[in-house]
Amino acid sequence: MDAQFAAWLFAVSLGASAFGGMLGMASGIFIVPILTMFGHVEIHEAIGASIVSVIACSCGGAAPLLRSRLTNVRLAIVLEVATTLGALTGVLAAGVLPVPYLYFLFAAILFLSAQQMLAKRRGSAHAVAATDTCRWAATLELHSSYPDRELGREAAYKVRRVPMGMALMYGAGLISALLGIGSGVLKIPAMDTALQLPIKVSSATSNFMIGVTAAASAGAYFMRGDIVTALAGPVALGSVVGAVLGARILMLVPTDKLRVLFVLILVGLGIQMLLAATGLNFAGSR
Amino acid sequence: MTMSVPTLSRMEILLAGLLHYGTWIASVVISLGLAFAMIGNRTETHNVAWPMRLATGGIALLIVLPTLRVVVMLYAFLRERDYRLALAAVIVLAIMLAGVMIGLRTASGVAG
Repeated sequence: MDAQFAAWLFAVSLGASAFGGMLGMASGIFIVPILTMFGHVEIHEAIGASIVSVIACSCGGAAPLLRSRLTNVRLAIVLEVATTLGALTGVLAAGVLPVPYLYFLFAAILFLSAQQMLAKRRGSAHAVAATDTCRWAATLELHSSYPDRELGREAAYKVRRVPMGMALMYGAGLISALLGIGSGVLKIPAMDTALQLPIKVSSATSNFMIGVTAAASAGAYFMRGDIVTALAGPVALGSVVGAVLGARILMLVPTDKLRVLFVLILVGLGIQMLLAATGLNFAGSR
Repeated sequence: MTMSVPTLSRMEILLAGLLHYGTWIASVVISLGLAFAMIGNRTETHNVAWPMRLATGGIALLIVLPTLRVVVMLYAFLRERDYRLALAAVIVLAIMLAGVMIGLRTASGVAG
């Protein structure tokens, strides 16, 4: 193992994870572009390393969210049927999809993330009407409540349109497995618009599900030999340390400026990935 | 305060502990493996095989952790006699197992 390269992997993952964590974003979306374009890592191995770090960040961050009762565990297991099925499809597709398509798809997800970062996220702020509740959610008893700090009391919420949420989650699982990312970029709209959860519940439940979704594809990639310890080890460690740091610095940095910087970086990486898809690579050419 | 505040369920406490300590243990195992590999690199023997295997074990532990989390949930739902959600947990476990099988098959396909 090359100690210098391992140190570079650790540092880059730490930076990406701390930076992403400041805006509540997983580091996976940065890790694959950085590894492939600046580290000259083969894309399947980059995806393998990234998916391990996605598991680490999800599991490492789950405990405080569970303890503050923001995670809807019952809803999570129901949606995970769809995300893991999507991940399984992604594993099969990753084996046959030509590499330029992967770069292209990654670029599209980066642009989508940038656009999402620009638009302010809206939770379901409106009051819960008793009329159009979902039958699935009622029979599976998915409705719940969480402690709302701003209101200073327990706030009840209803889960809606579970079938539509499941369909979107299938897509999120597919993208997660194909690109080695947590796919929060697709999970969060599914949670906000289809299921119409309060924003904190949606973030916590999404983070909780990411680990299981990523593990479904990581198991396959591990057995296939796409997870290289010399890469995945330093990347996972860097991501865990970065996630801890990111949560600490969160309060110190003005988020609006950070948001603009974020959008610029996402667009920049997206353009790089587009160029890579067409066979050009300026950043890494030596 | 009119509304009674629900307390944390045993399952949530158990899951939080499992994920927290699981991540720490896996991270420590990976760190030890990588550290010994670097030390091995500098010595004359260049013995890095077992430290790298240790680090790989840590990574495997990290991948198994979410699976254990689903097993704990399955157990909790069964105890609550909530058979529909227990079924959901079984399906998730089956899909995760199928992923491992697909990985094994495609790996052997490449090798021979």
